[in-house]
Amino acid sequence: MSETVEIENLIDLNYVNFRTEVQTSTKLCVQGLSKSFQTKNGSVCVLDDVNLEVKEGEFVCIVGPSGCGKTTLLNIIAGLERADSGELRVNGRKVNGAGTDRVVIFQEAALFPWLNVIKNVEFGLKQKGVNSKERRDIALEYLKMVHLTKFQHAHVHELSGGMKQRVAIARALAMNPEMLLMDEPFSALDAQTRWILHFELQNIWLKTKKTIFFITHNIREAVCLADRIIILSTSPGRIKKEFIVDLPRPRDDNDVNVAEYSTRIMKELKAEINKVVACEMDTDSCVECDIKCTTEVPSKTDIGGGI
Amino acid sequence: MKSTWKRVVFFALLAGIWELLFLLRIWPEYVLPSPFSVYKTMIHGFKDQTFLIGIMISMKRIAIGYGIATIVGVFLGLLIGRIRIFEETLGSLISGLQTLPTICWLPLALLWFGLNDKTIIFLVAMGAVLSITVATDAGIKSVPPLYIRAAKTMGARGWGLYLEVILPAALPHIITGMKQGWSFAWRSLMAGELLIVCLGLGHLMMIGRELNDMSQVIAVMIIIVLIGILVDRLFFIKVEKHIRERWGLVKI
Ligand SMILES: Nc1ncnc2c1ncn2[C@@H]1O[C@H](COP(=O)(O)OP(=O)(O)OP(=O)(O)O)[C@@H](O)[C@H]1O
Ligand SMILES: [Mg+2]
Repeated sequence: MSETVEIENLIDLNYVNFRTEVQTSTKLCVQGLSKSFQTKNGSVCVLDDVNLEVKEGEFVCIVGPSGCGKTTLLNIIAGLERADSGELRVNGRKVNGAGTDRVVIFQEAALFPWLNVIKNVEFGLKQKGVNSKERRDIALEYLKMVHLTKFQHAHVHELSGGMKQRVAIARALAMNPEMLLMDEPFSALDAQTRWILHFELQNIWLKTKKTIFFITHNIREAVCLADRIIILSTSPGRIKKEFIVDLPRPRDDNDVNVAEYSTRIMKELKAEINKVVACEMDTDSCVECDIKCTTEVPSKTDIGGGI
Repeated sequence: MKSTWKRVVFFALLAGIWELLFLLRIWPEYVLPSPFSVYKTMIHGFKDQTFLIGIMISMKRIAIGYGIATIVGVFLGLLIGRIRIFEETLGSLISGLQTLPTICWLPLALLWFGLNDKTIIFLVAMGAVLSITVATDAGIKSVPPLYIRAAKTMGARGWGLYLEVILPAALPHIITGMKQGWSFAWRSLMAGELLIVCLGLGHLMMIGRELNDMSQVIAVMIIIVLIGILVDRLFFIKVEKHIRERWGLVKI
């Protein structure tokens, strides 16, 4: 199936401006979240007092340099890892551990190679105890949404990277979760495929009105997708800044407004990026920085080596 | 096709040399029978069903022993692979026992079970179980944590997680272990049947020896080799091929 064909039917769709959605209730509430890891060189504080709120149906992007604790934050929200302190509420209920209301889409699609495409999509439903006929119907519905019906019987290794991610998205959506947690799902893909998937994801989001929590280190990608961008600083990870993106959808990576917006965010973070770059270039000072980070409250609130 | 022909020519040649050696009468017939008498014994053995019965009895023993070994082996492998305390204790026991030739269990088995089927089945199971355990353990340790995390966020818990994620993910390793276990089990079966007189293929060989009937010994040996090849072709090679296709692993 050629991917350009899919794009056409995506663009044909009648988009509404996302702001017309009424965003009221809080879907996810994170309060005072902290996390450190024990390593050989003592404990490393990865997240420090992170507070954030995600509204129902909101598309939030977390941006931060590599190693700033984005994945850790997402894992904690997903319940795959435990925080040292802090509270996590979904729909106002305190949560503990993984739950099918928060499905994760990983950087590598994490499809199961022993199952074919449609069985992969059915996996979560099977765990829920949905009967096989219903399972098949739901799986087909979501495979259709990601334009992969033709590949339902294919083996996982026969798919391209982009297709795999689309199957992973279908698999997550089939669970009908409250939230989608996406950890740099497109970062391993080429620009062309990413561009297509940015359209598809926006389309799916508009259709399903899911709350999406999306991690990336690419500001352009964040501007293209998000209602709100949260910038995480590094060592330890803290919420550094927030930006509201109020551009009409569907947005295009290459759109002038998106580019302009990205540049604006970039500029605001420029000073700090320079700080980190200088730190990363110079090995000695980097070690120093690491030590500072591991012991005392850091004087720097760094941002943006990876952006 | 070409390689098949090469093989046919090779075996024909081998039989030719054998027949030649026989015709030279260097050794008496009870030491080296002619290939034709082996062929005749084979036909006769199948006609009067002694070989068939022998095969059936041996296959039944290996099926039971190997079946037990597979279940126990996978279970032990799971324990060792997933639970730290078992890895540290049971794991070291298993790797120690691996150095013990299976036949060393014979005296113990004789005392436990006596001179009967159970002893042979026990030997068969002991022959296969350790390879399967070790392979399952290795397979489980090599399951990418990502699969487990993904499964957990999709609500897989407890048995579901083991049966639908961890075991299938470890399957390529487990099959390799089962294949190795099969060959060990087959060897232990023959060793047991040669030493304990109670029917089966090994016993048929011993009868041949007692009657000074070398052609029966060789005929049974050929049957044993053929069954080994057959199981490998019909089961393991197919399963491995299936897995390779599924997982998109390169052909070795
Ligand atoms: N299990 C662990 N044990 C020790 N340290 C860890 C562990 N997991 C993560 N870390 C450390 O925590 C920090 C944050 O890691 P994390 O994976 O959350 O970063 P990230 O922001 O997702 O980076 P990237 O953009 O490269 O994916 C890193 O410095 C990493 O070394
Ligand atoms: Mg990460």
